Amino acid sequence: MNSARYGTAMAAVVSFTFGLLSAGEIRAEPKTNLLSQWSQGSDAAAIAKLGEMYKAAGGHWEATSIAGHTANTLAKLRANVVAGNPPPAVQLKGPEIAEWNATGMTLSLDEIAKQENWEQLVAPELLPVMKPKGSWVAVPMNIHRINWMWSSPKALDKAGITDTPKTWAEFNADCEKLKAAGLIPIAHASADWTDATTFEIVVYGMDLDLFRKAFVEGNTDAMRSPGMVAAFEQFRKMINWMDPGISSRTWDVAANMMLTGKAGFFFMGDWSIGTFNAAGFKHGVDYLCAQAPADNGKPGFILNSDSVVFFKQKDPDYLAGSKLLAHLIMSTDFQTIFNQAKGSIPARMDVDLSKGFNPCQEKSEKDLEASIKAGTLVRSFAHNMTILQKYRGAAMDVITEFVNNSNISAADAAKRMADAVEAQK
Amino acid sequence: MVVEPVTFTSVRAVPKRRRPLREWLSGILPQLVLAPSLLASFIYVFVFCGWTIWISVSNSSLLPDYSWSGFHHYVELWGNERWRIAYTNLFLFGSLYVVGATTIGLLLAILIDQRIRAEALWRTIYLYPLAISFIVTGTVWRWLLNPSTGVESLIRHWGWTSFKFDWLVNREMAIYTVVIIGIWQASGFVMALFLAGLRSVDPDLIKAAQIDGASMPRIYRRIILPAIGPIFVAVLVVLLQSAIKIFDLVVALTAGGPGIATTVPSIYVYDLIFQRGQMAEGAAAAMMILFVLSFVLVPYTIWSNWRLRREASRG
Amino acid sequence: MADTTAYDPLGAVGTWRRRQAKLIIHALLGLFALYYVVPLAVVVINSFRSLPDISHNGLISLPHSFSLDYWSSAWSKFCVGGTCNGIQPFFFNSVAMVVPATVISTAIGSLNGYVLSKWRFTGSETLFGLMTLGVFMPGQMVLLPWARVLGWLGLTNTIGGLVLIHCVQGLSFTTLFCRNYYVNIPDDLVKAARIDGAGFWRIFRKIVLPLSPPILIVTVIWQFTNIWNEFLFAVIFSSGTNQPITAALIALGTADTGVHQYGIESAAVLIAALPPLLVYLFGGRYFLRGLTQGALK
Repeated sequence: MNSARYGTAMAAVVSFTFGLLSAGEIRAEPKTNLLSQWSQGSDAAAIAKLGEMYKAAGGHWEATSIAGHTANTLAKLRANVVAGNPPPAVQLKGPEIAEWNATGMTLSLDEIAKQENWEQLVAPELLPVMKPKGSWVAVPMNIHRINWMWSSPKALDKAGITDTPKTWAEFNADCEKLKAAGLIPIAHASADWTDATTFEIVVYGMDLDLFRKAFVEGNTDAMRSPGMVAAFEQFRKMINWMDPGISSRTWDVAANMMLTGKAGFFFMGDWSIGTFNAAGFKHGVDYLCAQAPADNGKPGFILNSDSVVFFKQKDPDYLAGSKLLAHLIMSTDFQTIFNQAKGSIPARMDVDLSKGFNPCQEKSEKDLEASIKAGTLVRSFAHNMTILQKYRGAAMDVITEFVNNSNISAADAAKRMADAVEAQK
Repeated sequence: MVVEPVTFTSVRAVPKRRRPLREWLSGILPQLVLAPSLLASFIYVFVFCGWTIWISVSNSSLLPDYSWSGFHHYVELWGNERWRIAYTNLFLFGSLYVVGATTIGLLLAILIDQRIRAEALWRTIYLYPLAISFIVTGTVWRWLLNPSTGVESLIRHWGWTSFKFDWLVNREMAIYTVVIIGIWQASGFVMALFLAGLRSVDPDLIKAAQIDGASMPRIYRRIILPAIGPIFVAVLVVLLQSAIKIFDLVVALTAGGPGIATTVPSIYVYDLIFQRGQMAEGAAAAMMILFVLSFVLVPYTIWSNWRLRREASRG
Repeated sequence: MADTTAYDPLGAVGTWRRRQAKLIIHALLGLFALYYVVPLAVVVINSFRSLPDISHNGLISLPHSFSLDYWSSAWSKFCVGGTCNGIQPFFFNSVAMVVPATVISTAIGSLNGYVLSKWRFTGSETLFGLMTLGVFMPGQMVLLPWARVLGWLGLTNTIGGLVLIHCVQGLSFTTLFCRNYYVNIPDDLVKAARIDGAGFWRIFRKIVLPLSPPILIVTVIWQFTNIWNEFLFAVIFSSGTNQPITAALIALGTADTGVHQYGIESAAVLIAALPPLLVYLFGGRYFLRGLTQGALK
C-alpha cells in the first residue's frame, strides 16, 4: 500500500483512539488508596469492610496499611510527599491535621460538609480539630474514650469491695483492700503511651482546669503548679501498687491479669473491648467498665478520634474517589460497622447504639452526651489530640521515666516535664 | 602482551587506531567493571550524607526546608537527656556486642570445623535466628525474660524459688539483656563468615605444622587465625554497622525501656524526623551517629598504617 | 574428594583423646543450641494454641489447646495489610523482590571483590574504603533521600524501586565479603594464568569462581536474609498490593491498639521464616573445605 493511504489510515486510527480516551476522561472513575496503620486483625477487618462498601458504591479501592508504630505511617506519608506523590487519603489525627493543612497540600471538604450537615452531626470538641483553619479537611471515623477504669469482679469480690470507686480517695482505699487480700491492685504495662494514658486520667480526674491548661494548651506554668505535683504524688502511690514486671509486658498481657482475676483495676481506652471479646472474656463476668475516678463528681470524657485527611491530587479519578470516601466514612452504615469492630463509638452523634454494641460502648455514648452538657469534654494528650508532637514526646519521656525510676520525686517530675516542654519551644 | 603474527594476505589497510583503543579498554577493564558500583556508592554515601548535613543546619520541621538555620540543632540535641542516655548506650552496647559476637561466632566456627557429624544441623540451628526478623525475636525474648511469666517464673516453679533474673525490668541491667539477645542474633552469621574463612586456609600449611608436632590450639593461634585476618575485618565491619544502627531489636525487646533506660540513637532519630516533625534535629542526630565511626576508623587507620610501615621496614 | 587429602584438625591426637575432645565439642554445641532454640520452640508451640488459651495461660506455657487452623488462616484467610487473603500475596511479593536483588548484588559484589583483590590499581584501596563506608549509613537517615531519588526515577511504590535500593545498599557488603575472601587466593595462581595469556574474564571464570562457593553462599545468606527481613524500606517504598511480607508480619511485635491473634501471628512468622531457612539448609553444601588445596599443583 502506498505511503499516502498508509498515512491516512494511521491518522484515522490515532484520532479514533484519542476519541475513545478522551470520552473516558469525561466521566471520572472514583479511586483511592487509603494509607493507615490498621494493618492486622480486627482493625484490618474493619478497613476491609470499608473497602467493600467503597467497591459497592462503584469505586476502585486500594489500601496501604503500615504495621507498627504510627511513626511508620507518618514516615511513609513524608516519603511519598517528598517523592512528589502524596497519597490521596491518609489516617491522621489531632494537631497533625493542622500541621499538614498548613503545608497547603490538603483537600477541602467544605462542599460535602455543607451538603451533609456535618456541623450538627459531629461532637463540638472535634470541630476545631477537623477544621483547623475553619475549612473541613478531615473526616472523623470514631470517638474513643480514654478515661475508662476496668475492674475485675472476681478480684473486687475477694477483697470485699462492693462498688467501683468514684473518687481518688475511694480508689486508694480500695487498692489497700486489694493489697491486703494478696492481689495486685493495678495491672499495668509500661510504655511511653500507656504511662501517659494513665497519668492523664489521673490529672483529669483530680483537676479538670489543670488538665486543660497543661495538656490541652501546653502551658508550662501549669505543669509546674502544685496541682501537677499532687497529681504526680497520686501517680507514685499507684505505681507502688503495680507489680515489678510492668516494663516487660505489653498492655494486652496486663489486661489479662485483670481479666483472670489476678489484678483489680486496669486503666486503658475503649479499644480494650475488642481485645477482651476476642479472647473470650465477658462483660459483667470477667470485667466491669466504669468511669475513672473524678474528684469533681461530674461525668467526664477524654476523647481520642481517628480521622482521614485527603491530599490534593492531579488525577481527577482520585479527586472523585476522595469525595466518595469522605461521604462513605460519615455514613451511618460505616460508622456503625467500623465502631462495632473497634470498640469505639461513632463520631456521628445520631447513631443508635442499642443493637450490636457492647454495654460499655452504650455507656460511653451516654457519658459523652452528659459530658458535653456538663462542659467537661476534653481531647486526649496521651493520644495526640492536643499539643504538638514535639512537646508531647518530650513530656511523655519524663512521665515514663517517672514510672520506672522511683528516685524521681513528684516535685522533680513536674519540674522536669515543664523544662522538657519549654526546651522545645 | 600478545604479539600477533603479521599476515600479508590483507590488501586493504587496517586503520591502526582501532587496536590501541581495544587494548586501552581491556587495560582499564577492571576499573570499568568497578565503575558502576563506585558511582552508585559515591552517590549513596556522599550525596545522601551531604543532604543530611544540609538538613541538620536548616529550618526543616515537618518536611525538608532548605533555608539556613545554623548549628543550634546540635546544641539542642546535646541538651536533651534522652539523647545523652542513647549515645552512652550506643558505646556500651556496641563494644560488648562486637566483642561478644566475634568471640562466640569464632568459637562456634572452630567447633564446627572439627569434622563433626551432623554439621548441617548445627549450622542451621545457629543460623536460624537470622531467618526471623529482629522484631519477632525481640518480642519472643521479651516474653521469655519477663520475670512474672518467663524463665524466672518457670525455674521458680521447678523448685529453685529464690532464682532471680529480672534484668529486663531493671534500669541498670536492661541494656545487658539487649547485648545478650543481640549476640544471640548475630553470632550465627559471624560463625558462617569464619567458617568460610577457615575452610579456605591452605591445608598443606596445617599438615606441615601437624607433622612438625605443633598442637591444634597452637596451630589455630599461629597459622589459621592470622591467615583469615581479612575475614576478621569483615566480621568487625558487619558487627559494628549492626551495633550503630540497632533499632528493631530494642523496639521489640524493651521499647527503649524501662522508661528510657535502653533507648538508642537510631530510635531517637526516627522519632524526631517522623513522629515529632523535628527533621533538622533528627538529621543532626543522624550525623552524630555517623560520627561514632570516627572513634573506630581513626584508631584503625593509625594502627594499619603503623603495621604497613613496620612490615616495610622489616622486609 | 577434597576430604581424603584435606587436613583433620584432630588428626594428630590419639583415639581416646579424640573421643574426649569430640564429647566436649558436642556438649558445648548442645548447650549453645539450647540457648538458640528456645525462642523458636515458643513460637512453634504458640502457633497451635487458641487465643483464649494464650490469654488465660500466658504466652510461655504448655499448650492447653491444639489446632492446625492458624497455619491455614495465616496463609490465606487472615485479615492483614488491608486485605483478608492471609500473608500469601505478600510472600510472593517478597520473593519477587529478594531474588533479583540477591542475585544482582552478589554477582556484582563478587566481580568487585575480584577487581579489588587481584587487579589493584592506584587508589583502589581508598576506593574500597569509601565503598565500605556505605554499610554504616542508618536507614532512617537515607529514607527521605531515597524517596526523592525514586521519585525522579519514577520507581516510587514499585518492587523495582526496592530492588534498586537493596542492590545499592548491599553492594558495600557483598564487595567487602568477596574481596576479603579473595585476598587469600594465592597471587601466584593469577600471575601464572596471566603469563599463560589468560585475560580478565578467563581468570575469573577458571580460577576465582571455582574457589568461591563458601563466600558466595555466605554473601547470599546475608543478602537474602537481610532483604527478606528488612522492614523499614519494605513498608515505606511499597503500597497496597505490592507490599512485601515484613509489612504483614510486624504486627506480632507491636503493642498498638489492635487485637493480637497470637496463634495466627506465630504461624505467619514461621511461614515467613521458611525461605531463609531453606537457603541455609541447602546452601550448607557450599561450605566446602580445602578448595585451594591442590590448586597450585
